Amino acid sequence: MSEETNTRDSFFERHKQRHRGTYRSLRRNWNQFTNHRLGVIGLVILVVIVLVAVLAPYIAPHPLHWQAPQTGKDCSSLDCVASSTSFPQGPRFGDPYFAPLGTNWRGNGVLTELIYGSRVALYIGFAAGVLSSLVGVPLGLISGFYGDSWIDEAIQRTVDIMYGLPFLPLVIVLVAINGITTTNIIIAIAVKSWLNNAIVIRGQTLSLKERSFIEAAQVSGASDNRIIFRHILPNVLPLAFVYLAQDAAFAILTQANLAFLGLSDFTQVSWGVMLQWVQVTGHVFDAPWWLLPPGLMITAISASFYFVGYSLEDVTNPEAQS
Amino acid sequence: MTRISATYFAKRLAVSLVVIWAILTVLFLLLKSMPGSIATQFLNPNLKPEDIRALKAQYGLNQPLHIQYLKWVKNYATLNFGYSMQSTEPVSALIARRLPRTVFLFGTAYLINLTIGTLAGIEFGWHRGSSRDKTGFAAGLTLYSIPPFWLAWLLLYVFAFGGFGLSVLPVGHMTPSFQSVFTSWEFFSSIFTHLLIPATTLALVGWVGNMLVMRTSMQEVLGEEYINTARAKGLSPTTVKYKHAARNALIPLATQAIVSIAFIVDGAVVIETVFSWPGMGRLLVNATLNRNFPVALAAFFMLGVLIVIARLLTDVAYTYLDPRIKFGENQ
Repeated sequence: MSEETNTRDSFFERHKQRHRGTYRSLRRNWNQFTNHRLGVIGLVILVVIVLVAVLAPYIAPHPLHWQAPQTGKDCSSLDCVASSTSFPQGPRFGDPYFAPLGTNWRGNGVLTELIYGSRVALYIGFAAGVLSSLVGVPLGLISGFYGDSWIDEAIQRTVDIMYGLPFLPLVIVLVAINGITTTNIIIAIAVKSWLNNAIVIRGQTLSLKERSFIEAAQVSGASDNRIIFRHILPNVLPLAFVYLAQDAAFAILTQANLAFLGLSDFTQVSWGVMLQWVQVTGHVFDAPWWLLPPGLMITAISASFYFVGYSLEDVTNPEAQS
Repeated sequence: MTRISATYFAKRLAVSLVVIWAILTVLFLLLKSMPGSIATQFLNPNLKPEDIRALKAQYGLNQPLHIQYLKWVKNYATLNFGYSMQSTEPVSALIARRLPRTVFLFGTAYLINLTIGTLAGIEFGWHRGSSRDKTGFAAGLTLYSIPPFWLAWLLLYVFAFGGFGLSVLPVGHMTPSFQSVFTSWEFFSSIFTHLLIPATTLALVGWVGNMLVMRTSMQEVLGEEYINTARAKGLSPTTVKYKHAARNALIPLATQAIVSIAFIVDGAVVIETVFSWPGMGRLLVNATLNRNFPVALAAFFMLGVLIVIARLLTDVAYTYLDPRIKFGENQ
């Protein structure tokens, strides 16, 4: 037993020894990040939303497709349909089918839908962010590393032309043609949003390329691939995360806009789709318990991504600090 | 225009034309990748094979692809967009009616955004780290994260539907729908009141991008030597702030002003739909939802051209104001 703990201790000891520098710089960056109250607030909101999404079945007051039955009278199914105009219903205390935030027009609990909607929002945010980074970061690295060559020129002109395309109209047309699924929406968003990542990473790469450690690597005979991915990439990764966070926020907002325009997967419960149903059923101005929460959640999650992103930017860019 | 060389202008114009050509090509590819054919549009089981062939010949679909492509480019370049599938009106007439209204909404919002964003950026950057800066920054990012249509609903609830006893502004459209003859005063005042909520919504969400850039740029400029020199000379803080710092900090805003054009067009598409503003964005959305693709693609094309022209104008204006900007720098 004691031997076992000994070996484990020595393992941790060796690990600590070897990665002391990494730990120190991580802690320094973390301390710098926590100096930004805004960033910490954003991170806390994000963590809470992630927890809500993971634990959705345990904290939601009802199962996802639960519907409040007509209350107050013992109705046959036809009567129920005829009288279902009493939905949406605000929260009513003392109701046996109490829904904490009221119900929507079908009798689904708003809070339940809100909790499950966090899953779609996070999925869209992270998937679109990661996808744009996966396209934008390598292209930015290559473009910057081979600056002033035909490769750089080709990538830059492509970016120029794509910046000229109207973003939302492009997404609308792409989604309308390829079919309205969440995957297609994510792809359509990423088609346009990798541009920022590529531009910023290119700029950073251009300046890193002139630093002496890259020259040292070149002199010692490292291949271009090795220099790009082992020496430059780790240095641009923090900046890449800044833009990933911004892409995520932008993707969530775009999905909400598309849902509002009627281009969203209506079989899925997402915050944008909830708002779209408010509009379609004509309850925008008489059901605040249904209208306000999804909009507030979209604002909260996008704002927290932006908060984290801009605080990270300050950490990664020491020159921006006074 | 002596401050802009002819070659510079020619280069800019060439880039714009290439972008327009790229939009055309993308649209053609989209059109060709669409499932179904002209025959499935009619959904008529009595269509015989020869009818389908005749239809294809009528629409020029039996020609080889490169001929179709050249025809497509030629037609779009001459603004000949064909006919809407829902009315017998040519698409170009539809667009000619709607484009000015979009430009009006979009232009108003753009100018408001630029003004407020720049002034706020100067203010926050000058007072960096103060509570004013922190509050403004956090508030700006939060506004940036609000879905614009939802914000529009809230504003409508308060100002148009009398949510708090205020019912002063119209709900939507550009002019009162129950009136068809206007005096010029009635016309302008009604357009102004109809513009108020849509433009406010666009401005509340849109100024932030400009503010962020201006704020950072201002901070960088404040570290420069000439700011200390200006202060040491005993110039008043206002002079240093606006004449020395802000003027020089304006350069990065040129890039942002160009990027934000596309952002506002996005917002305008959504806002036009909320307010039934009879412009291009709403045309695009309705045509797409009705699968009226001649109109949808033409609207997309014209929005793209609108962005290209606005970018060209902004670019030339900025170069005129600041001759230090060079070609290719502010992409």
